[in-house]
Amino acid sequence: MTEQATLYVFRYDPDADGTPHFDRFTVPWQKGMTVLDGLYHVLDHQDGSLSFRASCREGVCGSCAMYISGAYRLACQTLLENLPGREATVNPLPHLPVLKDLVVDMEPFFRQYQRIMPYLKPSEPPPDKELLQSPKQRHVLNIHIDCILCAACHSACPLTWADKDFVGPMALNKAYRFAADSRDAARKERMRLIDPSVWKCHTVFNCTEACPKSIPITTAIESLRHMALVQRLKFWQR
Amino acid sequence: MRTARYADRWPGNYRAGMWMWLLHRISGVVLVLYGITHVIVISSARTWGPGTFDRVLERLGSPLFLALDVLLVWAVLFHAFNGIRCLLLDLGIGVRRHHKPLFWAMMAIAVALLVVNVVVWAPYILGKPLAE
Repeated sequence: MTEQATLYVFRYDPDADGTPHFDRFTVPWQKGMTVLDGLYHVLDHQDGSLSFRASCREGVCGSCAMYISGAYRLACQTLLENLPGREATVNPLPHLPVLKDLVVDMEPFFRQYQRIMPYLKPSEPPPDKELLQSPKQRHVLNIHIDCILCAACHSACPLTWADKDFVGPMALNKAYRFAADSRDAARKERMRLIDPSVWKCHTVFNCTEACPKSIPITTAIESLRHMALVQRLKFWQR
Repeated sequence: MRTARYADRWPGNYRAGMWMWLLHRISGVVLVLYGITHVIVISSARTWGPGTFDRVLERLGSPLFLALDVLLVWAVLFHAFNGIRCLLLDLGIGVRRHHKPLFWAMMAIAVALLVVNVVVWAPYILGKPLAE
């Protein structure tokens, strides 16, 4: 007899009865199996109506962020053998509207992403050649550039729960990533875009704990505060 | 469309930072309420006369209230040292790599001061009269 793992999966179908509940699935287990593998097994062999988002299976696409057994994780990076009793309780990302089963509406998340001007803005006029960076200048962006837009931090932050106007940890980390980039010339504008939000962080560290790419998001926010403060103190440059 | 279950709001799933954030707010409210109570108690000599003031102070010297004082001291210590932790983080100290050691150091200092406080107060809580 093969060894087994158990999945308790959040189910919600707006077209059926519309009552959220948990379904229990038992799947055959082998070493190295992830929660996502388990979900795929359920989809292929037990319940074809199960909905979830996934794509790359290797932690770079950011599609499969879920709330699994009390932590924000990527389903594809969570080994079943690391969960007690090989049991996984799989919730969709909390604090985002559920469309069906484990699929959440990411619109509130990407709306915040658009607010912070998520692209490099070189000085005017734009250079006719590519902008070069020294290894040192590139090194500043390390880790912060690894964001895969999975929304785990957004879902984990107690401020985004309460304040819909707060841009959230992902957007602030992205804002830092662009503001700290040597090729960017729009720091002043960026500071204006994040102005009330950057001061709202309470250094709870939930985002840093939740990030599956181990980005120190709180550090990015504190660095942004530093930049904003320096900007404000340079009154002769306003 | 329905919002997801808020499994992450269950206190059993909180990380340390979440507890610090919540308890900071709770201890802050406790200290504000204490401040108001303190002003009322101290001004009771003027408001209701010296007799009331003496009776209130006598009641406050009882072991129960001395034990509550220890809790109050903990609220002060926690709020103070967590506040210092937040200030250091805002100054960029320890935020990148050392926020966990910083947390443990601050809480260790607060607990140590609480222990000193309890040792000093223990005889009075156990019934030794405050003034001979």
